Amino acid sequence: MKGFWRGEDGDLERELRAHRPEPRSEFVHELEARVREDRRPARGKLRIAFVGALTACMLFALAAVGGLGYAASAVGDVGVTAKRIVNTEGPTIVTKSSAASQYGKPTKKKVKKKVKAKKKVKAKKKVRRAGRPRFTG
Amino acid sequence: MPRDPLANPGPLIRRVYAYVAYRIGDGPEAEDVTSDAIERALRYRASYDPKRGEPVQWLIGIARRCIEGERLRPRPATSAEDIADPLDVEAETLERLTLGQAVARLDERDRELLALRYGSDLSARQIGELLDLRTNAVEVALHRALGRLRKLLEGDEEAADEAGLKTRSSTL
Repeated sequence: MKGFWRGEDGDLERELRAHRPEPRSEFVHELEARVREDRRPARGKLRIAFVGALTACMLFALAAVGGLGYAASAVGDVGVTAKRIVNTEGPTIVTKSSAASQYGKPTKKKVKKKVKAKKKVKAKKKVRRAGRPRFTG
Repeated sequence: MPRDPLANPGPLIRRVYAYVAYRIGDGPEAEDVTSDAIERALRYRASYDPKRGEPVQWLIGIARRCIEGERLRPRPATSAEDIADPLDVEAETLERLTLGQAVARLDERDRELLALRYGSDLSARQIGELLDLRTNAVEVALHRALGRLRKLLEGDEEAADEAGLKTRSSTL
């Protein structure tokens, strides 16, 4: 048998290419599947990136027509309202102030007395009115 | 977004395997190195830069580092006589084995060049880029490597002829 290597360089090159070691087809299929499997998370990342880009576009569009400022003030108003509803503390009474030292501390008793006195006066007036006959002309 | 280097993995796997098999020998060890190279490629897929070369060049670069990392040397090639009677073995298989044996007996540098050129099917320019050599230098080195391979094959044939004559004379 005449060896193929006895010819030109081209013959030997051709033989080297023709007798190139080939992997088992199962091995190739397994590795191909592994590569495809690894490609999936990349698609997930792409989706996340797409959603992010879409959100950014929407925010930009809103900002362009002043929607963001409107939304921010609305949120602020909601916050103030909520604070007003939730707040259970009454008005803060300042006991030590320049006004208190000048005019003295108002006492609850005095206030009550005044109210009672006013009520009595009103009651008397009512009685008087009730005692008189109606003016008929 | 950069191009995916592993978009069409089948042909790439075959070329990497052929390169590895020419370097360290055909078989399970070559499969392990090829798998390792593909795993690394998957891990560093994002680092692939199309400006620096084709995906196959990038993958072969990874496979080279895998072989160097493992310090793998070619296994002594199985002789045709060990497998079966040469008369029963088809001529093609015999040629393949002879060629594989001869390539395994070449020095590291020649084997590397032949593996890159005829295993992974890279051009002289691509090999030059990978080994940091000029294209001309690669072509000359390849020509010399082929010459040495031819001498080895011729030596084998002469040795086989001599062995054949001896067996014939002893049987007669």
